[in-house]
Amino acid sequence: MILKKIQLVLFYIFCLAVTNTTLAQTDSAATAKQVVEKFQSELITVMKNGKQLGYAGRYKNLTQPVSDSHDLTKIARIIVGKEWEKLSETQQQKLVDAIIRLSIASYAHNFKDFSGESFIFDSEEETTRGGFVVHSHLVIPDDKPVKFDYMLKEKGNSWRIINIIANGVSDLALKRSEYTTILQREGFDSLVAKINERIDAYSKL
Amino acid sequence: MNIIFRKISNTKINYIITVVFILTTAVSIIGCATDKANEQPISNNKADPYENFNRKMFAFNSSVDTHVAKPISDSYKSVTPEFVQTGVANFFNNLKNINVIINDVLQAKFTQSAHDTGRIALNTTLGIGGLFDVAKHAGLEQNEEDFDQTLAVWGVSPGSYLVLPFFGPSTTRGVHGAIFDAATSPTTYTMIGVPINMLSVVNTRANADGSLKFINEAALDPYVFTRESFMQWRNNLATDGKTDSANNNIDELDIESLDDEKTSALKEDGAVAKKSNESNSGISLEPETK
Repeated sequence: MILKKIQLVLFYIFCLAVTNTTLAQTDSAATAKQVVEKFQSELITVMKNGKQLGYAGRYKNLTQPVSDSHDLTKIARIIVGKEWEKLSETQQQKLVDAIIRLSIASYAHNFKDFSGESFIFDSEEETTRGGFVVHSHLVIPDDKPVKFDYMLKEKGNSWRIINIIANGVSDLALKRSEYTTILQREGFDSLVAKINERIDAYSKL
Repeated sequence: MNIIFRKISNTKINYIITVVFILTTAVSIIGCATDKANEQPISNNKADPYENFNRKMFAFNSSVDTHVAKPISDSYKSVTPEFVQTGVANFFNNLKNINVIINDVLQAKFTQSAHDTGRIALNTTLGIGGLFDVAKHAGLEQNEEDFDQTLAVWGVSPGSYLVLPFFGPSTTRGVHGAIFDAATSPTTYTMIGVPINMLSVVNTRANADGSLKFINEAALDPYVFTRESFMQWRNNLATDGKTDSANNNIDELDIESLDDEKTSALKEDGAVAKKSNESNSGISLEPETK
């Protein structure tokens, strides 16, 4: 009888341990697809409440989702390419901060309301260099769908978005051309000033 | 973003022959000017060797848009009921399908050409001359094909980026493509071609309003923003969206040469972390496997 009780207790402990391990794995190692879908879901939620939230509310509600799903530090570095090494640490940090604020502001401005949009997952593929591309599209009622391809790289034990390609137009490549041109032609201070101007404009539009 | 270029390309078709002359002259002038006087820095972008000229044309076009095209477009939108605007846009889209079908065939897309023939037949008859897009409701979506894409399929490279006076972004291949497109447009040969083309220009500008606003809001350098998005959009069209997004962009951007640890040394909370990884410079970000 006592042996049976011990067996039951051991079985219970085993089950608990397995459950906890599974939960821990799920929590710490979300797949690339899960990271994208979670972010898209949070974006749609903000859009649904967009009008009530206003720009400031959308910015606040999107800050954590954007930071959790994007590797904005790496994005900042890729965007300025070889110019990165020429910047001081203070400048690098200033640029990263500006790009974080610009990214959130851009989402808060462009995804301001909801008219039945939904994201649909299409497929995912592993790149030759160990990244992942998640293919999806945004369904917009009475309009053509917009294809969204998310490129993700591993950061620590999770996946982070480093590029979004909308209908074949790469956000990273676009920004890289723009930012390196401004850096070369006008310098670092001008680039940061222009980014801050955009952020300011988004808050007022 | 791609909507703007789709709208602009409609306009381009009808006037491109005149533009070729202007363009050839202008490029020659700029070429001579930069060679002789070496007054302006040469562009760093290989796809945009005429950047100095292009930037001037971009500024000129922006000025024309602000002072002429936009006021006319705003007036058109304010005096024309929305259903009329939709009808006009549908009419020009339907007309464009003649060219789309020809290019379907030239690219050996025979199933798509049957689809597009069905589309134009349905819209021209049931859609009353193309004013109503009934084919869309029948599941026949509008395809985007032109001779520039056909040339791309045939293996012709896009050549240099060009900003055409009045017509906006293009490439040297795009100019040749547009000549063919103009030759296959029915309005080129009709007596009523001029007023129809004028209406097409107004319709084009009216429909591009939202996209132009987006550029103004998002771009730090509107010229570069327009150039890059245009080139990528055209490439995406030419490859029917089969651009290798998984590897192409990542390789182009050469991120594997980045030092990951240096990047992660910067914390997103604003604090600069201490670095102790000087020896790691140049370590590949990308695993070599797969």
